[in-house]
Amino acid sequence: MRTKVTILSLVGLCALQLGCGVQQTPVATVGPPPPPPQFQPQPFQRPESCLPCHQRQYDELRQAVKAGYRNVSPLFNGLESAGNLINGGLLRPVYADSKVVLPDGTLLNTNMFSSPVLTETRQVQAGFCVTCHNPNVEMISDKDLSAREVPQLDGLGQNFLPTLFRPLRDYAMVDSSHKQIIPTNPGDYPPTDALPSLGAAGITCDLCHNQNGPDLNRSFMHDGFANTSLILTPTKEKVGPFLFPVGVKDSFHVVSNDPDRIGFLRAGAFCNSCHDVRVPNNNLTSQEYNINPGGSKVKFFRLENLSSEWQVGAYNSTKNPFSQIVRCQDCHMSLFPYAGSSTYQVGDMTVTSPTPAVFPTDFAAVPGVSTDQNYPLPQRKVVTHFFTGVDVPLLSADELKARLGSNYPDPNATGTDTHGVPVGIVNRREDLLKAAVRINVSKSDTTATPGQPFNVRVEAVSLTGHRLPAGFSQERTVYVQLQVTDDNGFLVYQSGYVVDKPHPITGEAAPDGNLDDEDIEHVHAVVDGGHYTPTYTPGTGTNGGNNALLELGPDDGPEGRVYAGVPEGLVLFRNELTHVFVPCLPSATTCTTDRVGRNDAQGNPLKAQTAHFEETFNAALANSVDNFRSLQPLTPRTFTYAIQLPTLAEQQALGITIKGPLHVHAQVNFEHFPPLFLRYLAQTTGPGGPTGSGLQLVDEKLIDTKLKNIQNIASADTTVEVQ
Amino acid sequence: MSSRVLRLSLLLSIWLLLGVVVAQAGTYGSYKPGDFQTTNPNYPVPNPFYFEGRIDWNLLGITQPSNTWEYLQRGIHYQDDLDDTKSAIADYQTALSLNSLQNGTCQIVTAASLVQTGTTAGTLPSTLSPAPCIFTIRLRLGYLLRQSNPAQAISMFQEVLQIDPIKLGVNSLIGATYVIQAEQTVDKTAQQVAYNNAIQAFQAELALSPVTPQTIALTNDLANNAHVHWALSEIYQALGQNSNAITELQSYLQATQWHSDVYPWRITLANTMITSLQGKTRSK
Repeated sequence: MRTKVTILSLVGLCALQLGCGVQQTPVATVGPPPPPPQFQPQPFQRPESCLPCHQRQYDELRQAVKAGYRNVSPLFNGLESAGNLINGGLLRPVYADSKVVLPDGTLLNTNMFSSPVLTETRQVQAGFCVTCHNPNVEMISDKDLSAREVPQLDGLGQNFLPTLFRPLRDYAMVDSSHKQIIPTNPGDYPPTDALPSLGAAGITCDLCHNQNGPDLNRSFMHDGFANTSLILTPTKEKVGPFLFPVGVKDSFHVVSNDPDRIGFLRAGAFCNSCHDVRVPNNNLTSQEYNINPGGSKVKFFRLENLSSEWQVGAYNSTKNPFSQIVRCQDCHMSLFPYAGSSTYQVGDMTVTSPTPAVFPTDFAAVPGVSTDQNYPLPQRKVVTHFFTGVDVPLLSADELKARLGSNYPDPNATGTDTHGVPVGIVNRREDLLKAAVRINVSKSDTTATPGQPFNVRVEAVSLTGHRLPAGFSQERTVYVQLQVTDDNGFLVYQSGYVVDKPHPITGEAAPDGNLDDEDIEHVHAVVDGGHYTPTYTPGTGTNGGNNALLELGPDDGPEGRVYAGVPEGLVLFRNELTHVFVPCLPSATTCTTDRVGRNDAQGNPLKAQTAHFEETFNAALANSVDNFRSLQPLTPRTFTYAIQLPTLAEQQALGITIKGPLHVHAQVNFEHFPPLFLRYLAQTTGPGGPTGSGLQLVDEKLIDTKLKNIQNIASADTTVEVQ
Repeated sequence: MSSRVLRLSLLLSIWLLLGVVVAQAGTYGSYKPGDFQTTNPNYPVPNPFYFEGRIDWNLLGITQPSNTWEYLQRGIHYQDDLDDTKSAIADYQTALSLNSLQNGTCQIVTAASLVQTGTTAGTLPSTLSPAPCIFTIRLRLGYLLRQSNPAQAISMFQEVLQIDPIKLGVNSLIGATYVIQAEQTVDKTAQQVAYNNAIQAFQAELALSPVTPQTIALTNDLANNAHVHWALSEIYQALGQNSNAITELQSYLQATQWHSDVYPWRITLANTMITSLQGKTRSK
């Protein structure tokens, strides 16, 4: 009896302490969020405030692109600018003091973060980019003018003033007294006395550790997914991963003991609140809209769908090779991919890849300086804060320091930290990518005959927790490069290749010997950068965005493979943003939705007489998206290439004899961004674009010097006999 | 110390120890993944176009198709994932019967569709009845039928051109299928007609992405669509029109100048063929 009581007591205490072994309960339920806890307010701070006690975490986070670089990135700034130049500044935030009136007469004075429920598309557009990249600053800017970094634009829509428009990063500088500094001309290099602002720190320590659960009402599907549907509570109470933490020195902050908040921080669901991005455009192929009460006017398509992909994937279950849920944190906040390998079976593929969910043992804070009364800290399993992904800075080391602080780490640094993790983000990115996918070509035909087709079959499997590529997956590019040579080295077939060529639109008059700035050859596209006009009119008419040139290339694969099932050409895992052009009524003289953006052979504007689907490279213009071209995790797919050997007559004309065996080499390459996309940003934010003077973000020099692709993240070889 | 105090101390110690052990094992927390996800976010609800292209069949979570789009997707699964073209063709045909211009179960979205639904300029209603015609069904079915029934394949591709006259690559498929038709027939007249139709189709493809002073300024490309020019040169050679064949080979070389080819040896071969064809032309 006594033993039973003891066991029951233990179970009861255990349940009280941890909820262990009992049914898990959700962090939040449908309905209004709980009242915020009453802790002393503490303004959002730059990570330097956390540095003295959390040096390791600071050093790691400093290198993460989300924690600073992204906010001064020429790409992020260029993309945000390109959207604003087309829609008349609607992506810039409005605040509580806004006087903007919507067409129906209502006031637009809440943005994507401050709207309790997003009932108007314009609310979602307002601050669409900064809400994810700087939600803390946007939050405190709403009513506190002194905290406001990104101002509300003077004119929106038809009244937008492109000549006064500045990139977001112009607002991310302060002087030594924390007063905002604005460069003289839009996009100017930072003044010598400039220091990074709070906004320049991007996703800060506070942002995660002041979270107070998902904001269901602000997530379109009422599920806590996407667009920073997160409740932030800037108080001294910080949420960490451990219960019963040690007291903090001088009570600089206190640590939450709320198991729900701790559980949320430790779960993939926490990442879900930001890592789906849903764009408030009408989606013509999939009916998706805000299901919250009053939200049905807000329609959207999925730009970043990473969290949804993980949510429905094998890693969010125990039915995966590791027989445990593998969370985002297990790969992006662990020792992965530097903690040993595992070998397992995926379908008919035997795979060896790095093991996730192995964490270093270390102190959670600096011993001797961080605890109340110098209470001794234990060493325990901790997470890393590198957050390595597929992005690296596209700025020089000097400019990074000028914009983000003199102690900004060198992305190309060599060496490892005390846990064996490379300290340079460039190395970590490459290692992460090499853990992402495996291929084999063993299902290829074993013989080939001159003049006849033979099949090479590339089987590919993604090992990522989400699809591959993920994130901005319509621009992030992963593809198969395939080469078939004969035994003498004669190149029989190539796919996924690039060619050095001129780029007259950005001033590269002749090939420059660099292949990283070349697009793969499935499609040739040039996106219209637009041009300045004294009177601004929203839309693509003079502001660009449509394809000024679009033609199929010799390695056409995606169009043929996806729509027609043709087993030829490039295997591209990049998703696609699609613009469905809609015909105009003959009587609608001002309608331009049918304008494709280029001319026919006679020089007349090409118009869609019927609904016309076309790839677009500007998310602001997409009204459909295909997010199923990327590789599904742990689901092998086989791609066939029907390859023709030259006939005997052709071999004779060439003066060769194909000598067997044929050597088949397949490899997977990663392209940081399509060069054509960067050249579009260079055009539209350049001096020839709609601003008239340029924003000094992207140019051919940056493309040539900073865009580095990662070749051969996985490979496979086989041979084929020639009959 | 009494035994009760001892037991309590022991209990407390075990409780604290258990807390540390569990903490280190990383099983903290009470969040259960999936709690908020009540619907399958991968299942697109058509609005108003059906999703063109391919979706991962397993994500739909169904075993039996119930509408045109699901038959299309299962057909794609058969074709792409299982290499079962016979089953794919059957599903594409079922999908087509449910999305047919002939029986009025689909419509081509034109300005008339907008008039019919009373929408404002350039916008579409959230649904269209009948549903828009799906080009993926026709392209997939046509491609699989091009050898066994080129005439039907061509009619499929031509329906795609009705659905979207400026869609790239469709005219090329028509041209290539006419070439198959020409190669399959022994009737010289029929062969000539098929080749001429192929030429017409390939030229229509070229017209959709014309080379103009504006495009040359953008890319420095003096020609594009290398494979179309290669195909045209082969047809002209088959028809004995060597001069036209040379012209097409020259365009092919221009089109590959900055883009090479998946078969790079064709570039060398094109030069050889031009020399050879010029010799034949002179000797005539």
